[in-house]
Amino acid sequence: MGENYSSIWLVILLPLIGFVLQAFAGPFLQAKFGKRLVGILAVVPVAAAFLLGAQLTMALAGRPEADRVLRVSGTSWIDIFGLSIPFEILVDPLAMTMVLIITGIGTLIHVYSTGYMAEEKDFSRFFAYMNLFIAAMLVLVLGGNLPMLFIGWEGVGLCSYLLIGFWYKDLANVKAANKAFIVNRVGDVSLMLAMFLITILVANSELAKDARLLSYDVMLPTLQKILASDPAMATAIGLLLFGGAVGKSAQFPLYVWLPDAMAGPTPVSALIHAATMVTSGVVLLNRMNIVFQLSPVASAVICAVGAFTALFAALIAFGQTDIKKVLAYSTVSQLGFMFIGCGAGAYSTGMFHVTTHAFFKALLFLGAGAVIHAMSHEQDMRHYGKLFKYLPVTGATMLVGWASISAFIPFVGGFSSKEAILGSALANSHAGQLSQIAGWTGLFVAALTAAYMTRMTWLTFFGDKERWRDIAPNAHHDHDHDHHGLEASHQPKEVPASMWFPLVVLAVFSVVLGAFLHADHRFDHWLYPQGLAVLGEVKEEYPNLLLLSLVAAIGGTVAGFLVYRNGLPKNQGWDLAKWSPLRRAEANQFGFDSMVTNVFVEGGAEVANGLNKGFGESIIDGAVEGSGTLAGKVGDIARKIQSGAVRTYALVMLIGVVGIIGYFVYVSSLGGGR
Amino acid sequence: MNGVPLAAYLALGLFMFTTGVVGVVIRRSPIVIFMCIELMLNAVNLTFLAFARYQFSTAPALAQNPELATSNSIMGGQMMVIFVMAVAAAEVAVGLGIIMAIFRLRQNIDVDELNLLKG
Repeated sequence: MGENYSSIWLVILLPLIGFVLQAFAGPFLQAKFGKRLVGILAVVPVAAAFLLGAQLTMALAGRPEADRVLRVSGTSWIDIFGLSIPFEILVDPLAMTMVLIITGIGTLIHVYSTGYMAEEKDFSRFFAYMNLFIAAMLVLVLGGNLPMLFIGWEGVGLCSYLLIGFWYKDLANVKAANKAFIVNRVGDVSLMLAMFLITILVANSELAKDARLLSYDVMLPTLQKILASDPAMATAIGLLLFGGAVGKSAQFPLYVWLPDAMAGPTPVSALIHAATMVTSGVVLLNRMNIVFQLSPVASAVICAVGAFTALFAALIAFGQTDIKKVLAYSTVSQLGFMFIGCGAGAYSTGMFHVTTHAFFKALLFLGAGAVIHAMSHEQDMRHYGKLFKYLPVTGATMLVGWASISAFIPFVGGFSSKEAILGSALANSHAGQLSQIAGWTGLFVAALTAAYMTRMTWLTFFGDKERWRDIAPNAHHDHDHDHHGLEASHQPKEVPASMWFPLVVLAVFSVVLGAFLHADHRFDHWLYPQGLAVLGEVKEEYPNLLLLSLVAAIGGTVAGFLVYRNGLPKNQGWDLAKWSPLRRAEANQFGFDSMVTNVFVEGGAEVANGLNKGFGESIIDGAVEGSGTLAGKVGDIARKIQSGAVRTYALVMLIGVVGIIGYFVYVSSLGGGR
Repeated sequence: MNGVPLAAYLALGLFMFTTGVVGVVIRRSPIVIFMCIELMLNAVNLTFLAFARYQFSTAPALAQNPELATSNSIMGGQMMVIFVMAVAAAEVAVGLGIIMAIFRLRQNIDVDELNLLKG
């Protein structure tokens, strides 16, 4: 197939065509030919993009290691004096890894969605958004310069917003969508500031030999030279870039949008809020890794934020009763792991965990979606129990997901990637002492992860009784979401093939992928063939880490099993007053979300009101109204002149004319009076 | 006619113009004001004609070049008078119309009473 990589454009274009088709012809096709055709038309572009991407990845892997970074140019976009930003694509191992994840998992989730959304009226609107999301995400990872990354970055943010608010008739969903969009803006501002700073630095350096200042192949080498002598600037850019990643990848303190984003349909949660979009922060850190290599301070901050987020979110997960909320906090926590790895300088381990996490978390979310689908859209785990016998396929694949994320079997699922992250955090000194602390925290969080995932699995699939049988007819519990008609007589049925087939595929990949990529450090070499300079002198393995990880994971699992083997404990039931204070605090996110709401939303409104009263109404309004009043007063004086008496006007005019003529006569008399 | 000097025409013009100006300023009847405006216009006309008549009579240029007397340039003053008379006629038509309208509206045409434009 040779050396022509320009077909990479098709990978982006296919989902985009799918989007246009769904958006403009979708409702018509749905009415005329039914949902089946619409579903097929939605899956095909993504599947085709996956096949094409896989073929190109094979071709890229066939090239010599040092020669795997290729630029595919497109048309020019912004072309002004001294700055040229074309549409271009950078094909390299990092981008192609993400392409495979996005289109591969994207295809499976599209297939799953055709089943999950089958009863939905706005079927084609859903797939239009999904296809647009795939296209935007591909632009994000494939774009050959920072502005293209930013297009994708905002595009996925938009699609996330649209899909969270997909059921827009419910006000809570709309609020969740707005929250996600607005919180993400905070991070985006940070990313934009980083881009501006980089542009200024590169433009003023004279080291760049090309006007394409923001293209990676020009920018990164230049930036490396500039920042090597300016660590403070490296830290500034690093922190600003990380600020963008914090927003998009839901790290503390901007994580608050992700749990609320669960208001969207479950396939959306699986694709956008677990597997792909939220990992774009990690992709950004990998793409710009030279900046972080040069800034130990920024790296230490990343480590600290990642470790704290991992711990914080894992604790909150214990207090959640909504199955999707548990998975949402689990995602936040796992993203924290990825950032620990990136902060420690082992960028490839972050991407490694992105890859394995994408599979098992998509699996868990889709499994949770299947459970929700089978349980009449009830999401509260307190109504579940002993579902395994009703949902054998879903249950079995969920158990695989549970094993993958808990990582209690060596080399299965997320074990290798989690261990790689912890190992590099414990063994490296790039981020200073903080990376060791982050590593030990991570180990503790690994135990917590195993425990809360065991809690979720046992509450859902096992236990002593089928708790929805206790729902009294027409009873209304004091929790806020309605039941969608889950009744005591409900008989859960296994989901259709379109839904369990993706589960099985994801389960298989979840099991084997981690070990396959970890063997001989295959994934590290694929991403960074030259190795990472910052890791050069440091040993990558921590002694006994394998044992420690296993002990943590098995310990957490056993602890979870002991507590939840008989189903829902009495002190975690419907009566919140019986909950332990710690669990109530966890359910409440330790008050952080409401603190943010109080301080920034309502506090911001207070400040704005205060400004309006103190500054706006007195000074601004005073100036504006004062100038009007002043003009009126001047006019009152001036209008006295306008007497309306015609003869007075004539007299004044006469005096004026006489005066002017007199003046000219006088002037000309001075000049000799000719 | 040759016996009347230029200064006499100018003096008469000045007198007529002054009369007109004073009349416009001191009289309150719009009809009279109109007549005074006509008086001023005629004063100007008279001045134009006098200057036109005496333009080249003593100038050496005309003596050397008699065709100038019949050329277009020599008729400039008279032409201006024609214009002024035409414009004045139009003005009178419009002005009298306005006065009639005001009279119908208010039964009174004292200009001092017409102060609707007072600020």
